[in-house]
Amino acid sequence: MTRHPRGGSLAPGIINQTPADGAPRGERRRALTVTVMWLIAALALLCLTSLLIGAGEVGPLTSLATLVGHPIGAATGSDEARFVMTELRGPRTLVGLAVGASLGIAGALLQAVARNPLAEPGLLGVSAGSAFAIAVALVLGASAATLRVSVAQLGAVCGCAFVLGASRLNAVGQDPIRLVLTGAVLSGLLGALTSLLLLMDQRAADEIRFWLVGSLAGRRLADLQAILPSLALAATITLTIARPLSALALGERVAVGLGHHPRRVRLLAIAVVAMLVGAATAVAGPIAFVGLVVPFAARAIAGPDIRRTLWLALILGPMVVIAADIVARVVVAPSELSLGVITALIGAPVLIAVVRSRRLPTL
Amino acid sequence: MMRLIGHDKAKSLTTLLTGLGLGLLLAASPALAKTLDTAYGEVSVEGQPERVVTLYEGALDTAVSAGVMPLAAIATRGGDDVARYLRDRVQGIDIVGTARETNIEAVVAQRPDIILASPRLPEAQYRLLSQIAPTLVPDVPAFSEGAWKQEARFFAKALGREAPVEAALEAVAARAAALREEMENTPTASLARWMPQGALLMSPKLFSTGLLRTSGFTVQGDENVPAGRPHSDPLSLENLSLIDADWLFLATLNAEGDDALAAAMSSPAFARLEAVKNDHVVPVDGQLWTSASGPLAAEAILDDITAALP
Repeated sequence: MTRHPRGGSLAPGIINQTPADGAPRGERRRALTVTVMWLIAALALLCLTSLLIGAGEVGPLTSLATLVGHPIGAATGSDEARFVMTELRGPRTLVGLAVGASLGIAGALLQAVARNPLAEPGLLGVSAGSAFAIAVALVLGASAATLRVSVAQLGAVCGCAFVLGASRLNAVGQDPIRLVLTGAVLSGLLGALTSLLLLMDQRAADEIRFWLVGSLAGRRLADLQAILPSLALAATITLTIARPLSALALGERVAVGLGHHPRRVRLLAIAVVAMLVGAATAVAGPIAFVGLVVPFAARAIAGPDIRRTLWLALILGPMVVIAADIVARVVVAPSELSLGVITALIGAPVLIAVVRSRRLPTL
Repeated sequence: MMRLIGHDKAKSLTTLLTGLGLGLLLAASPALAKTLDTAYGEVSVEGQPERVVTLYEGALDTAVSAGVMPLAAIATRGGDDVARYLRDRVQGIDIVGTARETNIEAVVAQRPDIILASPRLPEAQYRLLSQIAPTLVPDVPAFSEGAWKQEARFFAKALGREAPVEAALEAVAARAAALREEMENTPTASLARWMPQGALLMSPKLFSTGLLRTSGFTVQGDENVPAGRPHSDPLSLENLSLIDADWLFLATLNAEGDDALAAAMSSPAFARLEAVKNDHVVPVDGQLWTSASGPLAAEAILDDITAALP
């Protein structure tokens, strides 16, 4: 770092300057660490905001007074505020953290495996697959939340299998847009089948209709507990495959040369994506575009290495979901918008930006 | 003379006969044909129509109450048959659509004498239906006080059977008045439909909430339901206290009421409502309370209210 290019006859101020390009590895890593710290701080702030703001009459100041335990200005804590924060806003914030992290990581993994910046669980029909599986389960008479998780994950596996199968087809895998079109076809088909089931069974329709648009409202900690085991498993597997995945980005042969097993790594990654998307869908319904926006932003911050984008996705995912949820709460009070609507509003411009960029990056 | 008398007599006879004929015609015409003011102009109906198709739940209810068994009706909201409270009384009735969509061909196949339709029937639909048979659309503003009674009288007139419907309306009014007499003060009430992500607060201007009011309740929700809408948007759980009242009537369209109540109870925001703590939550059939109208539905709702009160 103190190595200067032209010998020792320069002023001390210049000696400590580093060249703009080719900055040493340690410097870049430190810059990234600082960014990550900022992002974590921003996420913490968003979580706090999520506790303080809602569609109800309990305002931010009252909530804050309740939270810190003594009056702030004219606002004093109340039992109502305590209830709203512990039973309504608290759980949905935690669920938002889990759902956002799952979708962000799933998006980053799927993009790495498909080597396609547009691969997104919602766009490619993985979410539609788990939604369809849940609709089938509901029509068959299931209603337990725990069953819902495994069923949704099974549906997500099928969706993933279809997507990967399509990406192996001639010319589809190389062309990101074709892959998205294939995914749109799958989403459309599964969506139509889901609607058909709902038309045939009114009871299932009532249970599922609100949930099909994606929302965090009314979710409880029990719902979160139901998905925690699979999230933990997914996290463990992700840690083991991060390095091989980044080697895969260099090409199949290089990866094999480095001693990795591309096939096995890809299968594991797909299993993780299905686990994460299935869990998130089971709790919050299909929430589109998070898996697209988050890796996109992560790459913009940290470059294409999957080992870095995964960590960033872990922070950026919850940020996107919780911010969208806060917006969903306040825009149409005393009602709430569905979360899926807000994420679509955020995500669609990003999708268009990626598609319009002159040179579609392949990963 | 003979000739003269004969001429006069013949003249007066003609006058008499003409007068008699006219008189008979005038006397007979109300039974043969009558003209009703409908939302789409005047429509004349003859006598007591036999083949009746009802495309409105309120019309079906009124027809049955008037002693007419319609050939066909529409399915209740969220169902594939008529509403549960009427099912036993109209067994074998044909279903020719839903409130949103009528199967025109199925209506043609019934060869109806008249069609009784909803006050909200769109004009394009009216044009089609009125080619099949005289189509009667009550000209009653939506969400106006006592709209269902005006509709019932209108349909009764169209069917030429005003007396039984008028009697049924009087019986309902008397029963509601008796309930109101028994009520010590005017407790508040609200009608809501439960959904997992929140609740819909139903308008106090509906048929069922109107009956709650005439039975002595103060029905809440006017300021929280947009004007001209049957219910609010799904309320945020943080705002669930908006449905709280002395009595909470909880409607569901499909599931059994107890299931819906159990689902609602599992939400902490619902469990802390005053009505829930006082055990004043009444699960009611949404098909009856939020979709139907008419004299028979009114009786069934009053049955529910009577059963709920201590």
